[in-house]
Amino acid sequence: MTATTTVPNPAPARGLPARRGPSLPRVVAAEWSKLTSLRSPAAIGVVTVAVSGVLTWLSANASSTDPGFDPMGSLGTGLPLAQVGVLVLGVLVGTGEFSTGTFRTTFTAVPRRLPVLVAQLVVTAAAALVVSVLAVAAAVVGLLPAAGSRGMTLDLAGGRTPQLLAGMTVQLVAMALLGLALGALLRRTVPAVVAAVVLVLVLPVALMLASDPGIGGAPPVGVAYTEPEVTAVGTVTAVLPGGAVTHLVPGAGGFDGAPDLGVGGGVAVLAAWVLVPLGVAAVRLRARDLA
Amino acid sequence: MIQVEALTKRYGPTTAVDGLTFTARPGLVTGFLGPNGAGKSTTMRVVVGLERPTAGTATVDGRRYADLPAPLHAVGVMLDARSVHPGRSAFRHLLALARTHGIGRSRVDEVIGMTGLESVARRRAGTFSLGMGQRLGIAGALLGDPGTLVLDEPVNGLDPDGVLWVRGLVRALAAEGRTVLLSSHLMHELALCADRVVIIGQGRLLADASVPELVAASGGGSLEDAYLQLTAGSVQYRGRAADEATGLTAAGGAR
Repeated sequence: MTATTTVPNPAPARGLPARRGPSLPRVVAAEWSKLTSLRSPAAIGVVTVAVSGVLTWLSANASSTDPGFDPMGSLGTGLPLAQVGVLVLGVLVGTGEFSTGTFRTTFTAVPRRLPVLVAQLVVTAAAALVVSVLAVAAAVVGLLPAAGSRGMTLDLAGGRTPQLLAGMTVQLVAMALLGLALGALLRRTVPAVVAAVVLVLVLPVALMLASDPGIGGAPPVGVAYTEPEVTAVGTVTAVLPGGAVTHLVPGAGGFDGAPDLGVGGGVAVLAAWVLVPLGVAAVRLRARDLA
Repeated sequence: MIQVEALTKRYGPTTAVDGLTFTARPGLVTGFLGPNGAGKSTTMRVVVGLERPTAGTATVDGRRYADLPAPLHAVGVMLDARSVHPGRSAFRHLLALARTHGIGRSRVDEVIGMTGLESVARRRAGTFSLGMGQRLGIAGALLGDPGTLVLDEPVNGLDPDGVLWVRGLVRALAAEGRTVLLSSHLMHELALCADRVVIIGQGRLLADASVPELVAASGGGSLEDAYLQLTAGSVQYRGRAADEATGLTAAGGAR
């Protein structure tokens, strides 16, 4: 390379033969590499699975002395806390670029920007699916000692149980994606975690308490209600993420006064909670300066 | 080749870059100089597509950065040593960056070797000193074997050995026909490694000339003398002691 001034860009002649740029599969591979190269997502995954198993085990043991004990009734007791784990997992993916300076590196490599957000959605869903399946499996395992103490066996294939297990898994994955969406929108970890926890755990309970001081908190999954009178507060609760997930399993019951959205309605409400903040984040990511 | 033409960047009422025009040519190291707040980093962020110009254009090899088909192979960028997740190892940071362009693991090992990071490549970047962070940033810039390099303060925080290494590196990159745009506050360093110098103040071009030309124009002093003469009217942030020492009034300087 001696004729320096007449060769505007000499580099393509050197080294690497394939000079193609970022494609979605490549950006997904990069984001997966990023997610798996940090300690916190792995730690959160392990804690989430452990919390799901241990809480379910404690709850099932506590109620195993009841005369009408049904082990499957305790299946979802670890879920409210397990979903916080996957929420935080999603938030960390969503804020990881901007809470550190990594975004400068990432978006100079992928200046079209949006493939990064799509790739984050893909890798978050994949990681959350692994964690969620393990967390649900841990919950099932957590039921075994209590069931065994009463000489019962678990029938995982019967009745609504397969739907219940699938619904729990979908709920956990949805929470991870909600965390990602809020993280991508808010860009800072602490505000995003606070917003996610308020939205998913605090608001439904607060609304319930505000509407009826006699009812304290969310009923457990799997308990059927007799008087589903629809109220305004119930309707609001139903369209919050924490309310929508109760519709993922038909007949699993929802919050008092909530309209029955059905499985499709529950999925639609959850999808909106993920896609609307993610859409706003995408528009801003595409249109605004990154400084 | 980097071409900046009539570039203006405003943030609300503040004008950071004001009608700036210059070209960084292949085969040359172009030094980019100016007081703090002069608009150097803003210009570099616009060149690499992180920010959009309010008016004017900035292109690399004739294209807007965002339109480059394979940005890492066209432009190597180091804007800030803190562009790495502190929890990720240097190797995994570079590997993730490489994967966006399908660059292999062997090239990652190669740039780690070139920047002397072998012994710390598996350590989390959050444990790095500023100098090691700079080396990691330069490794990322070299990853795609690009024809153009944009380096913001690359010698900041490096030990004398590292400064010498960067000087040799940018000279070698330019000798291979690559375009190098490098900002620095270290005049002696720039006098040693830059072919041309672009000096800006308050977002405007103050000088675009070769180092000998600038030195001659300043009355045969040093590049530092030339720089201080050129930027005397456009320094926004000056220490009070400097004002008193140079006889400037408070109204003229310290804000």
